Amino acid sequence: MRFEGTLDIAAPRDRVWAFLTDPKQVTACAPDMQSLDVTDPTHFKVVVRAGVGPIKGTFAMNVEFTDLRAPEHAGVLARGQAPGSAVEMRSTMDLIPAGERTTMRWSSDVTVNGMIAQVGARLMQGAADKITQQVFSCIQMRLESPASAGASATPK
Amino acid sequence: MATEIGGIGQSVKRKEDARFIRGKGKYVDDVKLPGMLYLDIARSPFAHARIKSIDTSKALKIPGVAAVITGKDLVPLNLHWMPTLMSDKQMVLPTDTVLYQAQEVAAVVATERYIAADGVAAIEVDYEPLPVVIDPIEALKPGAPVLREDREQKNNHIWHWEVGDKAGTDKAFRDAEVVVKQDLYIPRIHVSSIETCGIVASFDKVEGKLTVWMTTQAPHAIRTVVALVAGHLGLAEHKIRIISPDIGGGFGGKVPVYPGYVLAIGASVLTGAPVKWIEDRSENIQADSFARDYHISAELAAKKDGTMQALRVKTIADHGAFDAAANPSKYPAGLFHIITGSYPFQKSFVEVDGAYTNKPPGGIAYRCSFRVTEAAFTIERLVDVLALELKKDPAALRMQNFIKPEAFPYKSALGWEYDSGDYGRALKLAMDKIGYAELRKEQAEKRNNGELMGIGISSFTEIVGAGPSKQFDILGIKMFDSCEIRVHPTGKAMVRLGVKSQGQGHETTFAQIVAEELGLPVADIAVEEGDTDTAPYGLGTYASRSTPVAGGATAIAARKIREKARLIAAHLLEANPDDVEWKDYKFQVKGVPAKSKTMQEVAFAAYTNHPQGMEAGLEAVDYYDPPNLTFPFGSYICVVDIDRGTGEVKIRRFVAVDDCGTIINPMIVEGQIHGGLTMGLAPALYEQITYDEQGNIQGGTFMDYLLPTAMETPNWETAKTTTPSPHHPIGAKGVGESATVGAPAAIANAVVDALAHLGVRHIDIPITPWKVQQILKANGAAE
Repeated sequence: MRFEGTLDIAAPRDRVWAFLTDPKQVTACAPDMQSLDVTDPTHFKVVVRAGVGPIKGTFAMNVEFTDLRAPEHAGVLARGQAPGSAVEMRSTMDLIPAGERTTMRWSSDVTVNGMIAQVGARLMQGAADKITQQVFSCIQMRLESPASAGASATPK
Repeated sequence: MATEIGGIGQSVKRKEDARFIRGKGKYVDDVKLPGMLYLDIARSPFAHARIKSIDTSKALKIPGVAAVITGKDLVPLNLHWMPTLMSDKQMVLPTDTVLYQAQEVAAVVATERYIAADGVAAIEVDYEPLPVVIDPIEALKPGAPVLREDREQKNNHIWHWEVGDKAGTDKAFRDAEVVVKQDLYIPRIHVSSIETCGIVASFDKVEGKLTVWMTTQAPHAIRTVVALVAGHLGLAEHKIRIISPDIGGGFGGKVPVYPGYVLAIGASVLTGAPVKWIEDRSENIQADSFARDYHISAELAAKKDGTMQALRVKTIADHGAFDAAANPSKYPAGLFHIITGSYPFQKSFVEVDGAYTNKPPGGIAYRCSFRVTEAAFTIERLVDVLALELKKDPAALRMQNFIKPEAFPYKSALGWEYDSGDYGRALKLAMDKIGYAELRKEQAEKRNNGELMGIGISSFTEIVGAGPSKQFDILGIKMFDSCEIRVHPTGKAMVRLGVKSQGQGHETTFAQIVAEELGLPVADIAVEEGDTDTAPYGLGTYASRSTPVAGGATAIAARKIREKARLIAAHLLEANPDDVEWKDYKFQVKGVPAKSKTMQEVAFAAYTNHPQGMEAGLEAVDYYDPPNLTFPFGSYICVVDIDRGTGEVKIRRFVAVDDCGTIINPMIVEGQIHGGLTMGLAPALYEQITYDEQGNIQGGTFMDYLLPTAMETPNWETAKTTTPSPHHPIGAKGVGESATVGAPAAIANAVVDALAHLGVRHIDIPITPWKVQQILKANGAAE
């Protein structure tokens, strides 16, 4: 499944870049994050709880930043498994400055295997939209709130 | 008298129902033994992946987990692979690669079922996904990823099989006045029996004896397989006892050996504790053997006047990752070459190629004697395509072409010898019963008003009762079957057979055969099956073989007893044996009806007053090797109405005329036909298992895999003709699968008939409302 879209963020590009490529900050917006283990600046492990409808799982995700070209382009490869299910996401983002604002153009190719893909196939689009919405609202909120500028994010 | 004893032809109420309707059946999951452990299985989320590592440490730390088994643990025991019933092998647990989603990856044995499931969830497997091949046509193309690295042959082609006269058939097509061609896909479906598969394995370390309760349709064959596969572990056949208790539906799905069985047996042998494994519903529907999945391209050559001349069929069979079907050894595509059906083709040629894909093993005979549904659907669909091409009435075209009654025994172009048949009589009865001529008039009127109504016919020929030992074996074991009868001193009898009922009513029908042959009341005859320690060896129940094969054994064993009983009767009557005849269920001195002895009197004498020089007792066993298969047939007519708004197909009427030869119990036959018709309706309109491009199963639960319920099932109208089998001891042919085989084409033909004026020639099953609506929209006929 391929997902893509754009997001308008009321923050300058450098700040958006710094936030989105910092594992600690960006994972604060991951859905139902359980733990984070940063291996090096471009590799980290994050445990999240996600699912579709009644089928939920705890996913241990290995995440890698690929193709980093500050401050405009990043690729992210995330692979993870939950009992009976597995997910792989290949994502890209491009940041386009618009004065004090930034437009993020993003895409994500998601491959889901196992129980979530079997039982939840028809519900996947809706669930993905909901998770995307939550993540992006969180990113906007954290970047657009002046108090949090430059601060390292912690889950609320 | 026949009514009193409950002999052949009587609608005796099913003896087994006394426990079934009270919920007192005893199934595998009802077996509970002291100290029993529970096994659960971790399965692959990927359809094709390399296993980089399996971490079992967290599972082993859970209190109550006794053991975790991986493929590597099975290697030293040489149990990581097992032979299938075809000439292939199958992984029990993988050591490096998984080949389909839901494939077994590791097993957890624990003190409780819930703990075993927690253990499964705690197993961590690191997979590296590999390219997935779902489409068998793609799988056979050069350059497709090779799925079975264990084979020397580095492609996905399993086997090529062909039968018939290729050159002669090709010539007939070159010379033909009319040729019609149709591609059809018979979708992958699942038997979905009410009871899932399961086992309790109990190994007695002191005696060295393995006792297994198991959901199997073929307990004796399983015993031999266990001895052959695990003989090196010290399991010898005289110390293996397979018990197949009550079974909640088999339909072919309980013939194969599943890895879970092997794991439970292995776990019991290793731990010395009884081990139970019961599949859950999702495991059953996702990982157990599938049926059908044939990609067929069929051509029919005919004269302009409608005379059918030649048939040419090319098929690709999707067998999934392992060829774990249970066809007779010589027939990798089963009895698919019954595809010439009810018509006297002069020339025919059929070829089938098996392909591996990243799907669970498939190809079992779902309530169908080895690929007969695929064959019957193809020919009956193709005849309608020809009728459309020639603008002929499909009933008239069939009547014109049928093999004539006087042509039997009839030798088909593909090598079968049909035993008996009268196809025209069955179709005529179906047409009279449904009012065919009136329906055609009504259809024409409705069509003028824009209403969509269709009439579909299926005049199928079945082939069951495998089979004669010259042609039929499984793993080399000939497909005879057996019956042992012991008549006790008080005239009550115990009958044991090598087959195994899964709901067919054997305890009643086999008792009726014995009642008829021996004159004992059916209530005095107990039938027992499924325990290899007590029953004579047999190949089991599938492919409608119980009545044709074990039924023959039962009649002949009873006749052996009757012959001995006649000698005893002569002794009691102080008559010459030549003067004693069996009449009205008694032994009589010829011409002196007053001088007679009942079987009960003879039985008592067999133990108390037997003639000098004769062995005491009254028992017999027969291993029956049938001289030929049997060929049941029927004609079904279906009337449908189609909703132009929703595309929904509504079956208004369905008349089924079946001919299964001599009928033992009309009530049971009717029940078999009702169930079979519903299982024929299912793939015609509802059931199909599909996969996404990554190999995720899309019909893995009953939310997505639609079984017809009482709401979807129409009122079936049944009727019969009786054309006995000339070679079967009681003339019976078997009926368990006729309706499953015959019904789909009648329904599909009715839907195509309703839409034919729009230019529709074929719709692949299942014919869902969506498919019909697309057709209606494309032709401007939607409401």
